[in-house]
Amino acid sequence: MKDFEYFAPKTVEEALSLLSQYKGEAKIVAGGQSMLVLMRQGLIAPEYVVDIKGISALDYMTYDERLGLKIGALTTHRAIEKSPIIQKHFGVLSEMETNLATIQTRNWGTIGGNLCHGDPAGDPVPVLMTLDAKLKLKSLSGERMVAMEGFSKDILEVDLEPDEMLIEIQVPVPRSHTGVAHEKLMVMQGDAGIVGAAASITLKSGNGICEDARIVLSNAASIPLRAKEAERCLIGKAINEDLLTEAGEVASKEADPPSDVHASAEYRREMVKVFVKRAAKRALEMARLR
Amino acid sequence: MKGEPKELRLTVNGKVYELKVKPKALLNDVLRKDLKLTGAKRGCLESTCGVCTVILDGKAVRSCSVLALQANGHEVTTIEGLAQGDKLHPVQRAFIDHGAIECGFCIPGRVMMAKALLDENPNPSREEVKLAMQGVLCADSGYVKQIEAVEIAAEKMRGGE
Amino acid sequence: MAEKKQGVKKQRMKKQDIAKPTVILKEEAYSVIGKPIPRVDAKAKVTGEAKYAADIEVADMLWGAITRSPHPHARIIHIDTSKAESLPGVKAVITGKDFGGFRWGWSRETRDEEPLATTKVRYLYEGVAAVAAIDEDIAQEACDLIEVEYEPLPGVFDPFEAMKEGAPLVHEDRKGNICVEYHWNFGNVEKAFAESYLVREDTFQTPRMAKGYIEPPAVLAYWPDSTHLTVIPAKGSPYFPYRILSNCFNLPLSNVRIIQPFIGSDFGGTKNDMVSCDFSAPMLSKKSGKPVKIVYTQFDELTTCLRRHPMWVTMKTGVTKDGRLKAIQTKVISDGGAYTRMSPLSNFLTGICMGLPYKLPNFKTDVFCYFTNNPSSAAMRGHGIYHTRFAGDVQMDMIAEELGIDPVEMRLRNAIENPKPGKIYETINKLHLATCGVEECIEKAAQAIQWEEKKKAERVKGSKAYGIGFACGTYLSGTKLSGHNACAAMVRICEDGSVNYVTGATDVGQGSDTVMCAMVAEVLGIGLEDIDIKRVDTAHTPVDPGTYGSRVTVLAGEAAINAAKDAKRMLLEAAAKEFGVKPEEMNIKNKKAFVKANPEMSIPWARLVRMACYTTPGMVIIGRGQSSRGISTYGLADFTTGIGDIGTNYSFTAQAQEVEVDLETGVVKCTDNSVIAHDCGFPLNPPAVDTQVVGGAYHPGVGAALYCEFEMDKGLTLNPNLVDYKLPRAYEAPMTKVIHVITNDPFGPFGAKEASEGSTCTAAPAVINAIHHATGVWIKDLPAKPEKVFWALKEKREKGKK
Repeated sequence: MKDFEYFAPKTVEEALSLLSQYKGEAKIVAGGQSMLVLMRQGLIAPEYVVDIKGISALDYMTYDERLGLKIGALTTHRAIEKSPIIQKHFGVLSEMETNLATIQTRNWGTIGGNLCHGDPAGDPVPVLMTLDAKLKLKSLSGERMVAMEGFSKDILEVDLEPDEMLIEIQVPVPRSHTGVAHEKLMVMQGDAGIVGAAASITLKSGNGICEDARIVLSNAASIPLRAKEAERCLIGKAINEDLLTEAGEVASKEADPPSDVHASAEYRREMVKVFVKRAAKRALEMARLR
Repeated sequence: MKGEPKELRLTVNGKVYELKVKPKALLNDVLRKDLKLTGAKRGCLESTCGVCTVILDGKAVRSCSVLALQANGHEVTTIEGLAQGDKLHPVQRAFIDHGAIECGFCIPGRVMMAKALLDENPNPSREEVKLAMQGVLCADSGYVKQIEAVEIAAEKMRGGE
Repeated sequence: MAEKKQGVKKQRMKKQDIAKPTVILKEEAYSVIGKPIPRVDAKAKVTGEAKYAADIEVADMLWGAITRSPHPHARIIHIDTSKAESLPGVKAVITGKDFGGFRWGWSRETRDEEPLATTKVRYLYEGVAAVAAIDEDIAQEACDLIEVEYEPLPGVFDPFEAMKEGAPLVHEDRKGNICVEYHWNFGNVEKAFAESYLVREDTFQTPRMAKGYIEPPAVLAYWPDSTHLTVIPAKGSPYFPYRILSNCFNLPLSNVRIIQPFIGSDFGGTKNDMVSCDFSAPMLSKKSGKPVKIVYTQFDELTTCLRRHPMWVTMKTGVTKDGRLKAIQTKVISDGGAYTRMSPLSNFLTGICMGLPYKLPNFKTDVFCYFTNNPSSAAMRGHGIYHTRFAGDVQMDMIAEELGIDPVEMRLRNAIENPKPGKIYETINKLHLATCGVEECIEKAAQAIQWEEKKKAERVKGSKAYGIGFACGTYLSGTKLSGHNACAAMVRICEDGSVNYVTGATDVGQGSDTVMCAMVAEVLGIGLEDIDIKRVDTAHTPVDPGTYGSRVTVLAGEAAINAAKDAKRMLLEAAAKEFGVKPEEMNIKNKKAFVKANPEMSIPWARLVRMACYTTPGMVIIGRGQSSRGISTYGLADFTTGIGDIGTNYSFTAQAQEVEVDLETGVVKCTDNSVIAHDCGFPLNPPAVDTQVVGGAYHPGVGAALYCEFEMDKGLTLNPNLVDYKLPRAYEAPMTKVIHVITNDPFGPFGAKEASEGSTCTAAPAVINAIHHATGVWIKDLPAKPEKVFWALKEKREKGKK
């Protein structure tokens, strides 16, 4: 690793001043579980490192029945995994975290660090997209809200200006009769998914027709991919087994997955079919219970 | 200034250390090179093997994946801090008695992982034990006796037979 | 003379019992061995006190790093080290030229490798220069400043490219890129095939694998004076660097001191042989005048260190109508990588044990190992035998299916029966067995897995399918090779009764230290806690070939027993004088020496020792023992013909493994229905046998079957980390049960045979057979990754539709 100049701000304002001062040449390190790997491999060599791990004001989770969930960017994966509030109201987040890497990574790595890393194979972004999450970004010039969807721009590239920081993730209260599930293809527990799918299904009260569906794929394109065509297969219909299969097949055509040492693009496309169906099926079952 | 050493104050195994380290120094380096605590092993240095695992503020972390300065003002426990004089921690005892130690290279990291698990969850299911062990690689044992040893230690710590 | 009765202690020992070469007592008579023995090094390891090579620090130490070639095949035109040398903090820079033309290799004829390449590099990241500096960062920075001019050359990256007419040569003097070849012929396979009821031929492929140890190579070297070298390396066979460095630096053996630290596993190759750091550290130390330490990263390990050969095994088998083997013919093609290393042995081993564990009257093999521009291949746990055993046991199931024979029954029909006491079974290529427990292993494994009920069960449950697979394996124990294979031990009795066991043998985690100490305690008649082991320090310990070929327990064990007996003899001589009897009329047990006919006439251990040491003129009690089995007794195996014993004895294993196949994704998981029955003769330390057997099956075995493979692209390793190269982990590990089958081999210490490599050969075929049982598909090239299984299932479904 190359040497760098190091700052450990204790407040958001301090951190933002540093980012503004060293615009473009400074990199934020939170838990470092993604950043350090890139730095050790020499893939990035920032001149200035702003270590925000010590900003305790960003480590929180609050829940309100109307306003929903607010997660500070420095909340660890493990805290989300173990939170009774999240397990009760947003179980899919806890479930997703249980399958994310290993316990050591989750104990120190943060949700904010993960979202800003921009890994198309990552799990949190697709799940947050199906939950219609919004992100609060801040710089010295002010705040802005962006939808989780649209935050990822390309592989390892997100909608974050060099002088901006992710402050908070906001997850609205799901509509009634909504179920959300996440499934990914692992060879070993904790693997990055060969492919993954997050699905949210909302049913109309009374007749069980699908009112809304969101399907987001991981490791199926250069960013987490919203499979809109697949969603359209389901919306307005009474979902049955055949429809779920069709949704999987349509999603598979929307995907443009990579080939790598773990799997070919062809196999990933086949697995999109399987995992969209599995996630959507579970989401449907949960929606029926709510 | 780039690379300028910064003050680091951390408590390791109950003892306070004050030293100056380069910003890029990893917690693993500081423990092993500066504090001469070689119990936490140096393995892959890229967050895959887990033999460097220590406990930081009660949570198991990979010391190769934590900048030393992030531990500033925090508490670290390493394998050297587990036994109380001659009295071994129940996890250590169980690993010895159950024959769960072979070459031993993964053992410090694994024992710390197990301790962190049992401190947080005194009655883990087998599934939970396996999930904890997932983060530390072994090359030789097949993991069976290690998983069983954690369960034996858990029972002892709960006051069982 | 009192009658010998079962379970009753003998009143008098017959003279010939004392003279027997191997001690075999009645099982109830053992005090230390044969029961769970806590490992002697467990406490040091579990408290973090145990120091491994990378943990050791000495005053004034420098850190070393290696400059590596960015080309898999290139001529070195020029190396300019000037920029590196002038970097502040750098204390020494070396290149290959500093070694004065030194080459080393597995045998005199195969010395084709240099510590650092001088004229040509033959694999990507091969070392060309090295630097020692005051810290690791400066050393690495200096390495990057070394400017090397290369002329890239076209390369060959698998055996099929290498064997082509006109292919680029990895070594100019090795035509056809042939590293080694063998052609053996026993009986008449053609005739046997002609007479067979069924003949089938299949090609199988085993993957390119990492050894998988978690401790990367590390070494610390320094020169106490200009003619003495001390090295502390992570080496499972310290006498390898002892000899090789003596050659390299032109030092007498007695001036090379290898001190063994704790070792984080070995598994053959790299930690059993030399890599660049092992030469560079001593040379950098010589040049700088300071101690030099080099610690590899896992990236270094996974890209440059030795691997298991990928092999293509074409096997043709002929059987009778009731499934008995008539003949096997194999063609083996393997990728030896850039240098010869141990390829002659690895490839030899593919054939030598083909006559085990099933009766085989005719066998022919042609083996071709090729040089390629990949990192070198070498030994790995399950060395050589695992490749052809995989092919053999999968093909056996294929044949069983064709003939409609139950796979367990098929194996029982072919299994070699356990020879009666005093009898020897000889294979067609003159391997000799005094014991063979494979029949009992198969029966017990089948029983434990409840095969009779389970085979009738419904295999598909929803989107998952379940199947059980069987396989048998064998492994040589106490390997016997040409060259210097003797080993020795000393047992020093200190005047206060404490005992040193001094050995040249290395425990790399398999538990040999514990078992050696236990055998010494057993022979001396004292407790394990009374023995203190003195580990390898070549200045003081006797030579030992090292940890390979499953030889330590059997051969170093023999030396330990002989040394203990020698020390015991001296003590009994002193005691006998005191009691006015003959030494053979006395024994030592439970820390007491006593007259056998009148046990009241006794003297406690500590008093006995003090008496022996101090009664004028006094004694210095050092028991010495050697193992002679490693080098004599039977004809050594002949590499050219494939005839002769490669082992002192042979272990046998049968495994039953259930798998769960996700029919939608192809993901295969081992379930906890997992049994291994293992014949290691006599389990000296049962829990240690358990972990070794389970671990041998899981890590290299299931690893090969389901997870592990280096993906290569023209010499570049595409997955050089332990997440992309999927080393087996805890969550997926089956909770395997081990059954001990006891055969009491007369050629092993206390009847023991090896217990670490047999199960490496059974896991892969058992898993593949289980996948077939679950789904009907055969996966013949490993690993059975989900994608492979998925396409195979799809193909089968589509075939079924037609």
